Amino acid sequence: MNHNDPEFDRMEEALKKALRRQQAPDAFANRVLARVAQQELDRVLTKRESILTFFTRPLTRWATATALATAMIVGGLYYRRAELKAERERAEGEAAKQQLVLALRIAGSKLQLAKSKVKQIDGNENSNRQVKE
Amino acid sequence: MYSEAVREPPMAEPLSAEKSAEIADSDFAEIVHRYEAMVYSIALHFLADSAAAEELAQDVFLQLHANLGQFQSGDHMKFWLRKVTAHRCIDYKRRRVLPQVSLDEAPEAAGPTPTADPLLTRRLRQFVASLPEKPRLVVILRYMEDLSADDIAEVLSMPVATVKSHLQRSLAMLREKMQREKITRAPGEVAQ
Repeated sequence: MNHNDPEFDRMEEALKKALRRQQAPDAFANRVLARVAQQELDRVLTKRESILTFFTRPLTRWATATALATAMIVGGLYYRRAELKAERERAEGEAAKQQLVLALRIAGSKLQLAKSKVKQIDGNENSNRQVKE
Repeated sequence: MYSEAVREPPMAEPLSAEKSAEIADSDFAEIVHRYEAMVYSIALHFLADSAAAEELAQDVFLQLHANLGQFQSGDHMKFWLRKVTAHRCIDYKRRRVLPQVSLDEAPEAAGPTPTADPLLTRRLRQFVASLPEKPRLVVILRYMEDLSADDIAEVLSMPVATVKSHLQRSLAMLREKMQREKITRAPGEVAQ
């Protein structure tokens, strides 16, 4: 503030005196430190309490029960699906086995037939040779 | 409510970044002792209520304790304390809606203020307490903390021009009130 008014100067001087710093009340620092200590203690207690009371709060209890039930249902569904899949694979394997056995049986009978045909041809050739001799 | 004037003891050495990060509780007690008069006085002159001023000052130091690691120097901490105190004063006033202090009801000085006219001192404090919030803070920071307009602007997060304008208008208003009551005297004069 630039001015050349002695009255203003006097007022500024008076303001400086009126607004001087005042001593804080006695034991102010002790009260601050006590509040800091109390705040630290409250924080520790709140943290511990929050862990202990986590499962005792109604909302948390409901949330936990719901989560457990959901996990059980989902787990059950997964287990059932896996069981059905295994059952289907077992049935498919059984059918493939049956088909293989049938195929082997057919192949066996065809082989028998071929064998008997060969034997019959061999028999005919032998009898023709004996006739010629 | 008002006792004798105090200046903070000089800092032994500026806080280095490493040191400020390692401030222990004993150091914190020292910091409280160093700045308690500054913080308390800003609140007291603003609120004109010693109990409220102490509560607010304690809250400021609690906030300081929670933020101890962030200061690079003693000046930084001092700036932060002024800023937080000023903003808390405004918040406190708005939240609590303290009764408007009329000039006749404003609290008086409890103890004598040597070297100053007690009546003048009392009336000036009452006038300052009757100013609107921001101009009041500007006047307190200017005449109690001896801050420049630039520094006040930084502390109160407002343009320098606004600070100057608040200061000029507040001084004009105070001068008018003082003239109306004819309590401005030359140094050495004693009120009747």
